Amino acid sequence: MVNDTGQLYTMEGVAAGLIMLLTAYIVISTTSVYTPGDTHITDMQLEQLGSDVLAMMDTPDTETGVSDLEVFVDHNNATGFEATFLDYCNATTGGAVDSLHMSATIYYQDGDEVKEYLFVPADDSWTGRESAVRATRWVQLDERSRGPPLDDRARAVLVEVLIWRD
Amino acid sequence: MNGDDGLLSLDFLAGFTIFMVALVVVVSMVPGLLVGLQSSGIDYDAVAYRTGVILVEDPGWPVHPPWELYDVYHKDEIERMGLAVSRDTPNILLSTKIEKFFNGSADGSGFFDYPDDYRRRVLFGDYPYVCNISMSILGGPTYMVGDARPQGYGYIRRVVKVKEPSSAIIQDNDLYRAAVPSNRTQFTVRLNCSELLDPSISPAYRIDPRIERISVKIANFSYYLNSSPYATLKNVRFHKNYATGSLPFPYTSISPEKYRFQIDGVDTTLTPNAHVNSTLYLMLQPASLPIDPNSVIDIVFTFEEPAPDPPRTTISGLHLYDYNATNVTRPDLTFGVLEVAVW
Repeated sequence: MVNDTGQLYTMEGVAAGLIMLLTAYIVISTTSVYTPGDTHITDMQLEQLGSDVLAMMDTPDTETGVSDLEVFVDHNNATGFEATFLDYCNATTGGAVDSLHMSATIYYQDGDEVKEYLFVPADDSWTGRESAVRATRWVQLDERSRGPPLDDRARAVLVEVLIWRD
Repeated sequence: MNGDDGLLSLDFLAGFTIFMVALVVVVSMVPGLLVGLQSSGIDYDAVAYRTGVILVEDPGWPVHPPWELYDVYHKDEIERMGLAVSRDTPNILLSTKIEKFFNGSADGSGFFDYPDDYRRRVLFGDYPYVCNISMSILGGPTYMVGDARPQGYGYIRRVVKVKEPSSAIIQDNDLYRAAVPSNRTQFTVRLNCSELLDPSISPAYRIDPRIERISVKIANFSYYLNSSPYATLKNVRFHKNYATGSLPFPYTSISPEKYRFQIDGVDTTLTPNAHVNSTLYLMLQPASLPIDPNSVIDIVFTFEEPAPDPPRTTISGLHLYDYNATNVTRPDLTFGVLEVAVW
């Protein structure tokens, strides 16, 4: 016996199916998923900027001058380093100021060990969850009388800067 | 025995067929579905990054003579516009290149046409990218070329330093006052290119008359006057390698693409035969003279009074345009920031 029990009502079923398929297609094709692979673009931009800033701080303004970076590290002037770095890092052509923050660590050799000390601590914006990038530069220091932790001999130290955006 | 067990209804058959057709269509669209997983910003960011690298780390092409010295008739020979002083000095930009690069507009009023010239010489790629490139120099001008930025675009920011040209300012120097003044006297400024282009000096600090302006200013000229309110400057001539004959040059016409010469603040030719009482200023454009790495260029200022008149100036001697800080001022490198936006 044929009756309509358990039968699909053809037109309604077809229409509903098409609508569902169309909806699924539109949703999937118009959604731009920010994959983890894309984050390297922002990281690359920040890394390049940090690297540029360190390079320019390490470039003397005159032929016989000493670079700002060398002076700051040699005289343990963390305040000057932070101010100059952030000035350079946050500058834009339009006059607006970017919202980049930083901390810095210096690595140096002491006998057979590589030691480090915190040069510029992170400010209050640091929570530990930021997507910070790292920029580094070797700095050559001449022999001179200087305070701890670095001794007086000529040496190279590695300046490592962490940069993140608010 | 006839029954309906095991038979397919037409409704089911029609529905199943439509479902299968739809499934095939959807599966065939799968590659298109994944397009949404690619951020369109990735490509633009990459182009912006590449453009930033070309601008900041490359001097452009050609190099000899540098692209920024090409005139409008030879513009097509410019292949790449880089702003670096040299390939050995990334992030150190030359002011002359910056001025030329940003001399572009969409209405044809600039040296370069936007966007065509910029697409072909700095953005590259087959896709017709549009850009906004801007640069700000600390304590100096802000440059910009391109369109206003839309909502989404590729971006890179580069931090740089800018090299400005040198200048010689000669003021109140007793070395250039003759004890016995003469009716005809000469004052020479000498550029010894073998010294100036010394390879041991970094291009970031080098005085290079081939790519940079050379300026000479004799300030407070009254210091060199001989009890007279003025002296008469007959002419200015250029000599190469100690030759007596002067170099070919538009001495008798004002030629901004070659030089600028001012007496007491007024533009004039290099054959003025005019009175001077306060300042002389000469600016030579890059490569306006035929300079090679071994050239010695003399810039000779000749003062001459008519025979019955007494000597009116004491200035004479030789001023070296060299790396001595008392002779030539070399401006410090200046901080700048360059932004590239591409979409």
